[in-house]
Amino acid sequence: MLLRKPFESMVARAAALAVALGLSALGAPANAAEPVEITFANWAAAEGTTRPAIEQVIKEFEAAHPDIKIKSEAISFTEIARQLVLRVRSGNPPDVSEVAGNDTILVAQTGKLEPLDAYVTADVKGALKPGVLDQFRVKNQLIAFPWVQAPAGFWYNKALMQKAGLDPENPPKTIDALMSALAAIKRTQPGVIPLGLDTTNRTFSMQSNWPWMQTFGASPIGEGAKGADTPQMKAYLTWMRELAQKGYIDPGRKIGEFRPLAAQDKVAFIWDQVLLQGVMQSANKMPDAEFYKHWGVTTLPTGPSGKSYTFEGGHQLVIFADSKHKKAAWTFIQYLVTSPAALREYTLGAGASLPPLAKLPDPELARKLDTPVINAFSSHIIPTISRPPFGPAFTSGATAVMAGVQQAVTGTEPIDAIAKSIQQQLGR
Amino acid sequence: MPERRRAAGSWQKRGPPSGGRAAARGRSPAFEGKRRVAPKPGEPFLDWMVLPTVGVLAVVVGYPVVYALVLSGQHFNFLEPDPPRFVGAANYVQLLTDPIFWQALANTAIYTFGSVAVAALLGLALALLVDNYASPRMRVVRALLLTPWAVPFVVTAFLFRYMYLQNGGVINALLLDAGIIRAPIAWLNNAAIALPAVMVANVWAMTPFFFLLLSAALAGIPNEVLESARVDRARGWSMVWHVKLPFLRNGLLVGSLLVVINNFNDFGKIWATTQGGPGYATTTLVVYVYRLAFENFDFGYASAMGAVWFVLLMGFALAYLRTLQTR
Repeated sequence: MLLRKPFESMVARAAALAVALGLSALGAPANAAEPVEITFANWAAAEGTTRPAIEQVIKEFEAAHPDIKIKSEAISFTEIARQLVLRVRSGNPPDVSEVAGNDTILVAQTGKLEPLDAYVTADVKGALKPGVLDQFRVKNQLIAFPWVQAPAGFWYNKALMQKAGLDPENPPKTIDALMSALAAIKRTQPGVIPLGLDTTNRTFSMQSNWPWMQTFGASPIGEGAKGADTPQMKAYLTWMRELAQKGYIDPGRKIGEFRPLAAQDKVAFIWDQVLLQGVMQSANKMPDAEFYKHWGVTTLPTGPSGKSYTFEGGHQLVIFADSKHKKAAWTFIQYLVTSPAALREYTLGAGASLPPLAKLPDPELARKLDTPVINAFSSHIIPTISRPPFGPAFTSGATAVMAGVQQAVTGTEPIDAIAKSIQQQLGR
Repeated sequence: MPERRRAAGSWQKRGPPSGGRAAARGRSPAFEGKRRVAPKPGEPFLDWMVLPTVGVLAVVVGYPVVYALVLSGQHFNFLEPDPPRFVGAANYVQLLTDPIFWQALANTAIYTFGSVAVAALLGLALALLVDNYASPRMRVVRALLLTPWAVPFVVTAFLFRYMYLQNGGVINALLLDAGIIRAPIAWLNNAAIALPAVMVANVWAMTPFFFLLLSAALAGIPNEVLESARVDRARGWSMVWHVKLPFLRNGLLVGSLLVVINNFNDFGKIWATTQGGPGYATTTLVVYVYRLAFENFDFGYASAMGAVWFVLLMGFALAYLRTLQTR
C-alpha cells in the first residue's frame, strides 16, 4: 500500500503530461514557413574534384530558396545504381538523384521514377538543345532530366606526340594510323602508357568500349544484335589482345585512374569524356591557354566500319515517385540545370561538362563555351553519339562481354573460344 | 540423487594425475575425469534463459537462410515489376550447366585451401622460430609479426593492388632493378597468376593468426615433457616432430577449420584487388553471387547458388564440431 501511492502518483503525472502535450499539438497552428527537406543522392559530393563545387551550389540554392533544405547524400558512382534499386525496393528512396548512362534506364525499370512530362513546360523544352530529352524516354514517358552532357572523345597529348616524332596537329584518324602512333610512343617513351582505355569488368566500361566495338562492326547486345560469336567481334577482341601484347594499354585500370597520370604526361592517348580537362587542370593547375597547346581532342579513330562513334556519358536528374516533396525537387532540378550559379560553379566549372541548354543565360558563361576543346566536341564529336542498348540485358551482358575482353587482353585462350563463351553466357 | 561411487584408484580419490600424464595424452589436466553435472530438479528456468538468444538467432540467422532457400526456387529479379514466381528446381538445373559456377567453385577451393595451408605452415615456422626466445627484443619481433592481422582487409587489398601495378608498382620496380625480370609482370592482369597473387595478400594477412595460435599452444607444452625429451637426447627437428607437433595438432586443426570457413566467405580482398577478374580468373563463389544479386539483381539464381554454398559450409561446420567433440 505504501509502495503503491508514489507509483500511482507517477502514473497520474505522466498521463497528465501526455494529455497536455497532445492538446498543445492539436491546438498549435501549423507553421507554413518551415522549410521542407529533400534528399539528393549524388556522386558529385563523393568525388574530390566536384565536392566543393556542388556544396557551393547547394548553399546558394538554399540561400535563394529558404523554404527548401537539401540533404546531400554522397554515394560513389560505382555504387549509386545498386543503392538506388535496393532503396526503391525497400521503400526509402531519396527525393532526387543524380544518375547516368545505363543506370538511368536500370533505375527506371523499377517503375518508381516520377514521369517528368507534366513538369517540362514548353518554355523549359524550348530552352534545351533539340532532341536532348528523347533519349530519356521509357515507355513513352520522360523519366530523367538532363543535367550535364559529357560525351567521350579521343584525347591526344601533343607534347608526347612531338617527342615521338609524330605531327601533334594530326592525330590518328584510323585504327591502323593509331597502331603506328602507339608503336612510336612505345619506342621513344617506354615509361608512358600509349593508350588509356578502361578494361575493367563493369557496365560503365562496357559503355566506354561500345564505340570501339561499333567501329569494328560488332554489336553483341541489343535489338538487332549480331551476337558475340561473329567475325566482327573476334576482330575487335584480336585487336584488344594485340594492344595488350604490345604493351600499348595498361589493363585493369579504371578510367579515373588514368586521369592523374594523363595530368603528369604519362599517357599519350586517352579515350575519355569532356570532363577530363577539368580533372587534369585540377591536378596539374595548368592554365587554359597552356592546356590547349598541350592537349587536343578529336573523334574516335575509325575501324573496319569506316565510321566514328562515341557515347554520351552525361548525367541526369530523376525524381522518385515516392517523394513527398516533388514540387521542391523539381525546383531544385531546375536550379541545377539552368541557374547561372550552378552553370558557373559546377557544369562549366568543376564538372567541366557541357550544359544541355541551347543558349546560356549569361553572355560571360556563353564565352566559356568558346574553347578549342568544346568546339571540337560540339562540331565533330557530338554528331557521332550512338546510344548503346541500355537496360537490364545490357547490365548482365556487360559482365559477360567485359570478362571476355579481359580474357582476350590478359590470357592466351583462342579468340574463337572466348567469343563462343561470351555468346553462350549472353544466350542464357 | 544418490551419490555416485567412484572406482577405487580413480583420480578423484588420489587427486588429478600429474601434468605429465595428462599432458602426454595431449589434454589439459583440468579435463581429466570431469563429469557433466545434471541440472537439479526445480531449476528449469536455466534452460529457458537461452530463449532470447535463440530468438535473436532465429530472426538474424534462421529467417534469412529459410527465405534464401525459398527464393532459390523462384524467379525473382528486382528490376522486374512482376512478383516472384515459383520455378521449382530450374535455378539449380541452370547452376549445373553454368561453367562460371564451376570455375568459381574451383577458384574458391584453390583460394581457400591454398591460402590456409601456406599460412598455417608459415605461422608454424614463425612460432617455432621465436618459441625459444623470451628477450624484450623478441617481444618487439612478436608484435611486428602480428601487425598484418591488425590491418583492415580493405587496406591490405589496396596495398597489394598498388604494389602489384604493372607500371609503377613497387614489386615490379624491385624485380626490374635486381635484374630478376626484364619486363614488368602483369600480376593481377594475367589470368594464370592473378589468383596466386591475391592469395599472397591473403596469406600475408592470415599468417599472424596461426602464429599467435601456435605460439600459445607451444607455450602450453609442459616443461616436464620437454625436459624428459631432452634427457632422451631429442634435439632440433626430432624435438619438433616427435614432441611439439603432437601438442599443436588439435589447435592447428581447429584453427584451420575456422579459417577455412572464414576464407570461403572472403569477398573484400578479392573485390578490392581484382573484382573477380581478369575474366573469371579470381571469381570465387561469393564474388559470383554478389554480381548476380547486386549487379544483375537476379535474386532467385543467386539464392540457389547461396544454398549450395550454405550446404558446403555446413559440411565444414559439422567437421569442426566433430573435431571439438573428439578433443
